[in-house]
Order: sequence, then C-alpha cells, then structure tokens
Amino acid sequence: METAEARLARAREALAGVQRKVGTTRERWEAPTLPLVPLLDQVLPQGLRRGQVIAVAGSTSLMLALAAAASEAGSWTAAVGMPSLGVVAAARRGLDLARVALVPHPGAQAAAVAGACVDGMDVVLLGPRLALSEPDRRRLATRARERGAVIIAEAPWAGAHASLTAVASRWHGLGAGDGRLRGRELTVRVEERRGAAARLVTVPLEAEAPLRRGATVPAVAAARVLGGAA
Amino acid sequence: MSVVTVVRRAVLWVPDWPVVAAMTEAGLGADVPAAVLHGRGLVAVSAAARAAGVRRGSTRRLAQRACPELVILPHDEGRDSRLFESVAAAAEQAVSGVEISRPGLMIIPADGAARFHGSEETLAEALVTAVAEHAGLECAVGAADGLLAAVIAARRAELVPAGTSRDYLAPAPVESLALAAMERVQRQEAERLASVLTRLGIVTLGDLAALPFPDVLARFGPVGVWAHRLASGEDLAPPVLRRSEEDIAVEHVFEDPAERIEQLVHVAREAAAALDAALLAAGVRCGRVRITARTEKGQELERVWRTDVGTRAGAFARHMTDRVRWQLEGWLSGTAGAGGDKGPEPSPLVSLGLVAEDVVPLGSEQAYLWGGVSGADSRAHRALERVQGLLGLEGVLAVAEQGGRSPRDRAHLAPWGQEAPPARAIAHPWPGRIPDPPPATVPPVARPALVLDAGGAPVTISRRLAISAPPTWVRLEADGADERARAANRHPSEGHVGRIVGPVWDRPRPVESWAGPWPVSERWWSEDASRLAYLQVALRDGEGVATAVLLAYGGGEWRLEAVYD
Repeated sequence: METAEARLARAREALAGVQRKVGTTRERWEAPTLPLVPLLDQVLPQGLRRGQVIAVAGSTSLMLALAAAASEAGSWTAAVGMPSLGVVAAARRGLDLARVALVPHPGAQAAAVAGACVDGMDVVLLGPRLALSEPDRRRLATRARERGAVIIAEAPWAGAHASLTAVASRWHGLGAGDGRLRGRELTVRVEERRGAAARLVTVPLEAEAPLRRGATVPAVAAARVLGGAA
Repeated sequence: MSVVTVVRRAVLWVPDWPVVAAMTEAGLGADVPAAVLHGRGLVAVSAAARAAGVRRGSTRRLAQRACPELVILPHDEGRDSRLFESVAAAAEQAVSGVEISRPGLMIIPADGAARFHGSEETLAEALVTAVAEHAGLECAVGAADGLLAAVIAARRAELVPAGTSRDYLAPAPVESLALAAMERVQRQEAERLASVLTRLGIVTLGDLAALPFPDVLARFGPVGVWAHRLASGEDLAPPVLRRSEEDIAVEHVFEDPAERIEQLVHVAREAAAALDAALLAAGVRCGRVRITARTEKGQELERVWRTDVGTRAGAFARHMTDRVRWQLEGWLSGTAGAGGDKGPEPSPLVSLGLVAEDVVPLGSEQAYLWGGVSGADSRAHRALERVQGLLGLEGVLAVAEQGGRSPRDRAHLAPWGQEAPPARAIAHPWPGRIPDPPPATVPPVARPALVLDAGGAPVTISRRLAISAPPTWVRLEADGADERARAANRHPSEGHVGRIVGPVWDRPRPVESWAGPWPVSERWWSEDASRLAYLQVALRDGEGVATAVLLAYGGGEWRLEAVYD
C-alpha cells in the first residue's frame, strides 16, 4: 500500500507526460486569438479572441479596423446585411478584399446565412437590421464558440463579450469652406462582460502626418486611455 | 530551344473572326457593316464595312464618317473563344483532332487526315463544307510545312507543295510574322520587331532567313530566334490536339412530385452518386455541373455550378450531394432567383437532371501552380456556396477596388464565383477624386438631404461653383421607423392617417465645419453624364461629437453620398 504522496506524485508525472506529448496546458486566458491592429490594443487588451461576440455601435470604421489585421493575416471575412459597406475604406483599413464576401440582403434567411458564414469564415460582420431573434443570436454565439469564429455585430447583442460604443468623434482638417477631412479621434466606451467598470478609450482612427504646420492633427500615434467610468 | 521536326499542317482560318462572332451573338446578318471596338481603335471589321471604306485600327469617329450606318460592337475575348467552339466542333466532323491556336484560327496535322480523305484538296474541301454546313460560316483552308507558311497559305487559300515552304515565305514582308503570334503580347512584340527590321532594311522574310542565326540571337534575343525560325519555315512546337469529350448527364424522374426537403435529400445523394459513378466509368472529371429541374407546372429551372476538379477529387459525390440539396431547397422555398430577378414560384419538382460539363480525362486536369487551396479557403468557399444556394447567385458578392471619383464608383461588386468584368484601372489619375480617408458607409443609392443656410433657406451652388450662402444646417433622412420624426413631418391638415409623401426628415443638425464645393463632371459625352459639386461637412451632434458626411449637389438637389462613421 503506497502512500497518498506517492500516488499524487505518480499522477502528476502522468499528467506531465501527457502534456509533453500533446502540448502544454491551455489556460482559459490563453484562448487562441486572431491578430489585431496595434491601434486597438487599448480597446481590446486581451486581443481578438476566437469564439467571441463583439457588439459595436456607432462606427463602421471601428468594425473594419477590428477585422483588418485578421484579414490581412489570411482570415476570411463575411459582411452580412451591410449593403452600404464602404469597400474602399475596407481596403484602406487593411482587409484583403480577395477574402471578403458581402451578403448585402439576406432577408428572411438571415439566421441560416449568418450560421453558414460562422461555419466557414473566421470573422463575420453582422449588419444592424437583420431578422435575428434572441434564440437565433444565442445559437450563433454558441456556433461561433464551437467553430472559433469571431462575430462583430453592429447592434446591441445581449451577452456579447465586449460592447464597443462610439461616444464621441472629433474630426480635424475641415475649415469654413476650405481644407478636407484629415484626422479623426474616436472615443470608444468599452464594456466587457466580465470586467471592471466601463472604460473610455480614445483612438486616432484616421491619422495622417500634418502636411503643414498648424494643422491640428494628433501627434501621438498610440491610443490614450482617458480612464474613468462612463 | 530544341529542334522540332517540321510537321505538315493544314490551317483553317475564319476571316475577321471577332466581328463574325460578335455579329452572330448580336443576331446580325452577314451583309450588315459592323466592327468590333476595343479601346480607341477597331480590332476587326466585317467585309461589308471594309467595302464601305472602314479600316482596321481606325478610330470610331473616322469609321463612322466613312460608313454612318456602321454597327459598333464591344470587344469580348470570352465570346470569341466560346463561339469558336462551334466551328471547332464542325471541323471535327471532317477530321479527328484540331488545335485551336487562337479564336479564328485552327491547326490540323495534315498528313493523316489527307491520307484519309485522299488528297489535301479533298481534305480542304471537306473542311470548308463541314464548317459551312454545321457552323454556317465561310472559312479558308491552306496547307504547308511549318507554322507561318501554313497560316499565310490559309489566308491565300493555297496548298504549298512539301519542302517549298522557305521559298514560299521568302517574298512575304516581315510584318507577316505577327500572323503567327497567338497572343496579344506576342503579337505586339512581333510587330515591334518587324518595325525595327524594316528600318534596318530587312524587308522580306527571305532577308531575315538569310541572316546568320547566331547574329540574330545576339541582336534580338528570344524574339529574334522565334522570328528567324518561322521565317526559315521551321516549327516551334508540334500541334497539341484537343480531344473533345461528351458531356455526361444523369436524369432522375420522381415517382411522385416532390415538395418536401426530406424527399429530396435522398434523391440528391442518389443523383450525385450516379453522376460520380458515370464520371468514373468514363474515366473523366468535370469542371462544371449543370443542375436542372422541371416543376409540376412545366417550368424549367437551371443553375450552373463550378467545381474544383483538383481539390475535391476524393469527395466529389458528397460535395455534389450538398450542392444539389441546397439548390433544390432554394428552388422549393422559392428564394433562389434565377439570374438575379425574382425566383420561380415554389412548385413541386417532377424531375432532376445533372449534366457534367467541361469534361477532361482523368489526370489531365490542371492543378494550382502553388499547390491546392488551403483547408480554410475551401471551408469558406463551401460556406459561400451554401449561402448562394439559399439566396441565389447574386446573394453573395465579391468585392474589389477600382478606379473612380466618388466612393460609390470606386467599389466593384460582382456575384461570387463569377468572372468579373474588367474593372476600371486604379492607376489612372482620376482628377477630382474625393480625397482619402475613404468613407466607411456608402449607401448603394444616394439618399436625399437638405442643406440650409442660417436663415433656413436652401443652399444652392451655381454653374460657376459659387455657393449661395455658407451651409449652416443639414437635415438628413430619418430612420423610417422613428415615429417621432414621422409625426413631426406630417402636416397638421393631414391628421393622423395617410402616408407621408417624400422623405421623412430628421431634425436639423448644425454644421461645425465644411469644405468644398469640389466639382466633378463625368462622362459629359454619354447618357449617364453627371455634374456634381461635393461638400464635406462635419455635423455637430453634441459636445465634442461630430459626424462627417459627404454631400453632393446636382440638378438643384442635395444628396447624401457617404458617411464617415
């Protein structure tokens, strides 16, 4: 009859053997992530995790920025129910248009179409006016978790892992009849499902080096955390 | 370059093929003067037009001056090769194998065929007769040793005796080298070479062939070698014969008209397995599958799906089962529109047919140069095909960027999986293009908007781009479901009934800053001419909150072109 310590040691050894064979342990916080542009590091510090649902309100550019780096790295992207998606803006953000498919008007088949896209694509953008019921959304979220896809929805989504709301937006470069749109600072309210209080993050979403002195373009390229609860 | 033995060949040439193909497709008679326009010049001219004085290479305006009733047809290389298939099939009634070197020109190894028909004269006669009978077209046939001699002989409808090709070619001008070029790039190179040779005093092919071969190689490189070989009556490569395969069809007739998905799943699996077995028995693979069905009301439904021969060879039957099932589901539910318009009305199906097209012998299909598609790619393709089965072909769009001035013009959309028509070149300068950053929201159709000055009067822009007053307020269209906005737009005299005519306006929003007007006048020469003045406006929605929009003024009205959100 061996002692409890010996048995425990043997069990630990067996576990370590399995880990050596199969790979290291995978903690919850190390779920596989898709690449994210450095611009949004402050918005989603833990990265764009596979299987998550992210609700975005008020900014299509932010949705495109979220999907950009993953698309550039070879992921497929589908935009469902977004008939007015700016294609050139998507390309400038860094999406590879060869791996982007639009389903502008899914109509009554929205749930089936979104389900098929979640099955096959890595990133699925969902438009604001889709005929999705609450059970449909739950099923989609479950499916995304199983398939390792990321859903970025332009609508409030109960149970989203992160909700991003564009609360303020400041443009630079326009005058009174002169100039043109140059730079933009977007302030995003980030609410995470299991997180602390909501944060406010300011992102220089459109940044361009000032052509002449005096143009009010933000000099900092990195995001600044303003902090504080909303 | 290895030396290739010279093959005696017959060449079948259809004069002015691009214009003949275009006229066939447009349903024009052979006596109509017509021409095919590509870019700025005519690339092919019909016989009637040539008689009226229209020349190849001239501009549209010159051609129309010479012949006002000239029909100008668009250039389409896909159409040219597609329609030439029927000519090739007609020629195959007389000979067993042909090589299509370019649309309009076909090469036939003459030795065996001439022995079969008795002599080269009878072979030529048989070919001309077969094409005239089965394709309804005039053609010319010539025969000679070597490629260039045979092509020139076909244009003159002559039979050059064996071994005399070099003498036959000697008096021909060096410009005729371009006739043996089978692709546009090659033809341009040949034309460039011919012009250099002419300037050097080498005018005929005989002069070129008389030059020492190493000197030609040293001076002109590979193009020179190519030209020298052709001018000497030699061959570059033996003819590659096309082997035509019949399409393979599988038909399934339902005992009872099927109207439920469950009935169809089984049938789809059976039909797909039958097609797979038929393909396997014939030792072939297919590039496309045409799914056809007949409804109880006698309506014929049809949809062509492309299959990837190389990547799905093992799982063909399972893959086809899904395809057929999705398509049938789409037809039964009435959502899959044929060709973009509204779908057929749901009706029980009485029969199902599968036809395998683009059939190639097993093992000769072309794999991708850099290996097959990855797992993720094929997974995504399958998902999109599934969505296309649900929504129809136009339900899924592939996007690309193209040249243009307004954000809407710069997006190029085409149904997923279809070969997109050529987009406008991005590299062109596009003066007056709306500067970057590009807007993230571009409505498919411009929405109405109101731009008001400080006094509430509409702002206008004159033809000389003078703005009547600085824009101070902007009203955009309200969300149609917003009851408050609807109520605010309803005139009290209408009461609470009736529909609101025209757009429902949102509350006026103050303009924070603006830029413009930027004039863009496009395509003034055509029907869809547009003359717009663009305005970039930042609207103030609260403390530190601005929404930037792109507005356009034209024809006395303001439109919302895009939102920078």
